[in-house]
Amino acid sequence: MSASVRGRAWFERLTAGAKPIAGLPASVLAADASIDGHAVRAVAVVPDPNGRFPRARNGEMGIDEGFGLATAVNGTPAGSAILAIVDVPGQSFGTREEAVGLQRALAASTNAYIRARRSGHPVLALVVGKAISGAFLCHGLQAGWIGALDDAGIEVHVMSEAAVARVTRMERDDLARVAREVPATARDIRTFATLGGIDRLFPVSNPSAPSDADVAAVVHALTEVLRNPRLGLRDPIERLDAPAALHARALARRVRDELRAQWDA
Amino acid sequence: MSLLLAESFAERSARDRARALLDAQSFRELLDPFQRIASPYLEAQGVVPQSDDGTVVARGTIGGVRACVVATDGRFLGGSIGEIGGAKIAGALELARRDAERGTPTRLVLALDTGGIRLQEANLAILTVSEICDGIVALRELMPVVALIAGRVGVYGGLSLSTALCSQIIVSEGARVGLNGPDVVETESGIDEMDSSDRPLIWRVTGGQLRFRQGFATELVSDDVAVIRAAVERAFEEPRELGPLVPQPFPDPRLERDAFLRAMEIEP
Amino acid sequence: MIETLTYEFPANEGVRQRAHVGVVASGNCEILLEPAVDGRSAIVVRTSVSGFGGTWQAVLARFFARNPVAVQIEINDFGATPAVVSLRLEQALESAR
Repeated sequence: MSASVRGRAWFERLTAGAKPIAGLPASVLAADASIDGHAVRAVAVVPDPNGRFPRARNGEMGIDEGFGLATAVNGTPAGSAILAIVDVPGQSFGTREEAVGLQRALAASTNAYIRARRSGHPVLALVVGKAISGAFLCHGLQAGWIGALDDAGIEVHVMSEAAVARVTRMERDDLARVAREVPATARDIRTFATLGGIDRLFPVSNPSAPSDADVAAVVHALTEVLRNPRLGLRDPIERLDAPAALHARALARRVRDELRAQWDA
Repeated sequence: MSLLLAESFAERSARDRARALLDAQSFRELLDPFQRIASPYLEAQGVVPQSDDGTVVARGTIGGVRACVVATDGRFLGGSIGEIGGAKIAGALELARRDAERGTPTRLVLALDTGGIRLQEANLAILTVSEICDGIVALRELMPVVALIAGRVGVYGGLSLSTALCSQIIVSEGARVGLNGPDVVETESGIDEMDSSDRPLIWRVTGGQLRFRQGFATELVSDDVAVIRAAVERAFEEPRELGPLVPQPFPDPRLERDAFLRAMEIEP
Repeated sequence: MIETLTYEFPANEGVRQRAHVGVVASGNCEILLEPAVDGRSAIVVRTSVSGFGGTWQAVLARFFARNPVAVQIEINDFGATPAVVSLRLEQALESAR
């Protein structure tokens, strides 16, 4: 399967030639850009065919990527927002990674985003490709505002499609039926948006090589969000109050309410 | 001299583990099985739901101080976290943070025994896990957040990422702490990368002893209720320093797999 | 898929409190037992192993013949054998008495 070019393409267009930050692994791109006069540190994880970990050369979130993202995010200048550009097929699957402690590398990045947001940096995310599992947890899901391309190439899930088929031993048609009955198992971005996880969808003409109009639409939306910093500062749990969540996440909302009611009986 | 027999913690159910960690007689379960807040998504996928969704939330005291234990049951769907289980953990973190802000802190213990996010509830569960991560970091600003990984499954996936954010991490020798389970690594990268049937190797690569040696845990415990109770209380009374989330030195990953492991003092 | 079975038995004893035993793990089952409201016993079985209605009938009939208690029982089953089901029923009843 060929490595995705979307992350790099959108990173380059949105940072419009801003100088990439040095000292990061080649698979982690970061640059301080300006969007409508607002300072934004854009960050992306991209394939590095020469990566030193053999199982992390196709854009996967591995040891170097997790810790590299943390370095990039932790170094965000005062007053700057952060934009996570998300196109990650998942975690890297390797013995070296498990021995070194891949969970810590992803925790480092997650921690960086959370601390940045909690200390006043608006955190935005733009999903332009795959957003899978731990990779999405540590790069994107801690944003206060998440936009995504309205495109069939976007996938959100906890496992690759091939892995799901293997684990469940189900045929494509059966998986499609389950996805219709249980939206939580659907991988497409529109269904994920119905769960209250996405703030804005962008139809685009070319997701891998965005046109000027594609970029302008995204920049316009980011500008609005940056002008209202409260949006990028929202905690993940506030998504439970999104309009879509009232229905789609009614059970999670009920659990939260019941815990509150029963906490000090 | 009396012979004290060690009582296994790992053999207990999630409910009984919570009971063991809280002071005697103080256990009170929230959203108990009889409230029947169970997953509505499983029957359509050929799975019978459990009345507590495999996650138990209990209030009580630890060392006489207000406390809450959230325990997952590794025997129900591998302890995997669905929408309800995830919401239980996230909600408990949120309330513990509120209590700490109000000056009436509630000690929170995450006794996680889980293979990760439940496949059958994928995207609803992943949203709750993002809340859990945030909740841990927020609570940690005010007081210790204790992860106890002492079950049969250990901790994997998004929940492993979450526990790595905790400020006190207690692991047992028998538990494993990794991101991707051995069967997943084998399936994705081949049996030469990882042989999931080689159980001793798996423990050498991801077991509690290794994690403590690496400095990824604040305490290593045996599978003994009394030892674990004491360790949990100590984690609140005398919290230990857990190193920052930066890479610890490791060998050149370009080394062949076996050479890499040997260089990490792990027998391949 | 999941099969749901329901059964009823006459009863003449009450139980003091509710009880919960077991786990939905392979070869096991979870049982929730509560006092019945109307003097009869009502049992609902949800199982991922279909086609054993007769076996469930026999196991439950034997249990209620020995213990004619007025209870509401919910069994969430993942392939428990009759022996395991009987054991869980006994454990639940003992907790409830």
